[in-house]
Amino acid sequence: MTDYTEVTIVGGGPGGLSAALAAAQAGAKVTLIDMYKTPGGQYYREKDLPRPDRVSGRQLRSKRLRKEVLEAGVRVLTETVVWGTFGGKVLALQGRDAPTSIESETIIIATGTYERAIAFPGWTLPGVMTAGAAQTMLYHGVLPGKKLLCVGTGPLQLIVAADAAKSGARVVSVLEAMTALPPVTKLVNGMWGQWPRLTEGLSSCLALVVRGMPIRMGWGIVAAKGDGQVEEAIIGRVDSSWRMVPGTEKAIPCDTICLGYGFVPSHALLNLLGVDLEFRPEMGGEVPKRDALMQTNIPGVYAVGDCAGVGGGPMALLEGQIAGISAAARAGHNSADAEAALLKLWPALVHERRFQRLYSSLFTPKPGIYELVTDDTMLCRCEEVTAAEVRRAIKLGADTDNEVKAVTRCGMGNCEGRVCSQILANFVARETNRSLTNVGLLRPRPPLYPLSIDQLCACAPGGRVANSVEDRQ
Amino acid sequence: MSGREDLIMKTSLHEEPNGKTITLMIDGLPVLANKGDTIASALMATGRRAWRLTRKGGQRGLFCGIGQCFDCLVMVDGVPGTRACMTLVIAGMVVDTRSNPEVAS
Repeated sequence: MTDYTEVTIVGGGPGGLSAALAAAQAGAKVTLIDMYKTPGGQYYREKDLPRPDRVSGRQLRSKRLRKEVLEAGVRVLTETVVWGTFGGKVLALQGRDAPTSIESETIIIATGTYERAIAFPGWTLPGVMTAGAAQTMLYHGVLPGKKLLCVGTGPLQLIVAADAAKSGARVVSVLEAMTALPPVTKLVNGMWGQWPRLTEGLSSCLALVVRGMPIRMGWGIVAAKGDGQVEEAIIGRVDSSWRMVPGTEKAIPCDTICLGYGFVPSHALLNLLGVDLEFRPEMGGEVPKRDALMQTNIPGVYAVGDCAGVGGGPMALLEGQIAGISAAARAGHNSADAEAALLKLWPALVHERRFQRLYSSLFTPKPGIYELVTDDTMLCRCEEVTAAEVRRAIKLGADTDNEVKAVTRCGMGNCEGRVCSQILANFVARETNRSLTNVGLLRPRPPLYPLSIDQLCACAPGGRVANSVEDRQ
Repeated sequence: MSGREDLIMKTSLHEEPNGKTITLMIDGLPVLANKGDTIASALMATGRRAWRLTRKGGQRGLFCGIGQCFDCLVMVDGVPGTRACMTLVIAGMVVDTRSNPEVAS
């Protein structure tokens, strides 16, 4: 069954919620699709905490935003994924109360971001997890481990380390890959007005320092070791390209290694829709070109928030509002004050973009983190494909990461390349002496999320998904 | 009295007033969890780090924590390939980590 709506929004984080609210308030018929039980995205994930006595300002804002979205008449489909696209603006859905597909005048993609994974010997051992995964456990009141090593760059790993320390874990070390602090003038320029962020970062540092938990700059992970789970990490000094300095390795006992090497825009759906993407390392990965109204090269397809370039929650809120107003106008709901609203949002957006530039200039990963793999290191966790197997495929003539995928199944598993895409691209670029932008990233294929045959059949009774494509042609 | 003394990885945040804990079955044994826990946090609270065996015999547990990597798969009430990090616990839920969900699906 194909549903029709004026504005479909994919992703219920700050960008998607604010887009939904703005579009609905302008008078558009809006459907918001979110993967989780309650919308909010990772930015508002904390709200799931069963802790009424520890409500943060952010939780209150998220609650208010979700209430406003429902009151504005937005149809919210939770626990629903978009697993494919079928011509034009038809999205294939899988979810408990969702139609099998939805067609709309305009689509706003707000799929957000996920954390960057890096491959190194032992990275598939239980106990190696993203900093965000550790944070999720702490939200639930569970320690991700007893002896944590946090490695990576940027503020998230500091926040997670501080929370873990406050909760009773021992943080054996926080390793920041950056070798030197940036000039103060640059910091002041980018951080001015970002007081909540500054407070959060500094209080995290302080929480670690007062507990005697060391933060080291210019260090990185080399390997994880252990029998069936992490028991020890090998760490080493890194140079300004984040390449390991030989001879500086040392072993450090721990049971958990949290990886905090930043974020990757969730670009798969944009890719399937045929949006032009370009590889921008400082934006986290492949991002769409957009006009000032957040519209991509495909008329009626918008992209907001981290999926269009990692920039954080406040920026996503602003971009969502702009896209919501524009998408509603495109669907025929042009209100007189839409332009005024857009102009009003602009200074705040410029302010957030200044922070984004500082963030990316400091924390964009350098090539060294992709050079830790040895022959038997898995590049693909799902299909368990090693670096040696990928190298053999390249020797046999596979020239791009998409060809490597076809030959080895690297990137063809359950995660649809979300984890290994950049790992593989960097590996292929290095093996074939090409630049990363020339190699590009794996092309995501439907289904973007695993479907059982049952679910697939339920999606297309009598092949109706296929027919809806033919109907359009 | 949290009723969770068996859960070795709990923090002070995990203290819950009586009545908000539920019991589910994990690999044939009753496990106490908080309402609001995911299967992953319930497993981690008991000290479990690894709960999936890959086709090549590798051990896996929590990796991304937000439903993107599909490393934490378990069998839930007979349904294989269920993400432990995305599935909230329900009283009486039967979770099986011993069968290989990947092969079963």
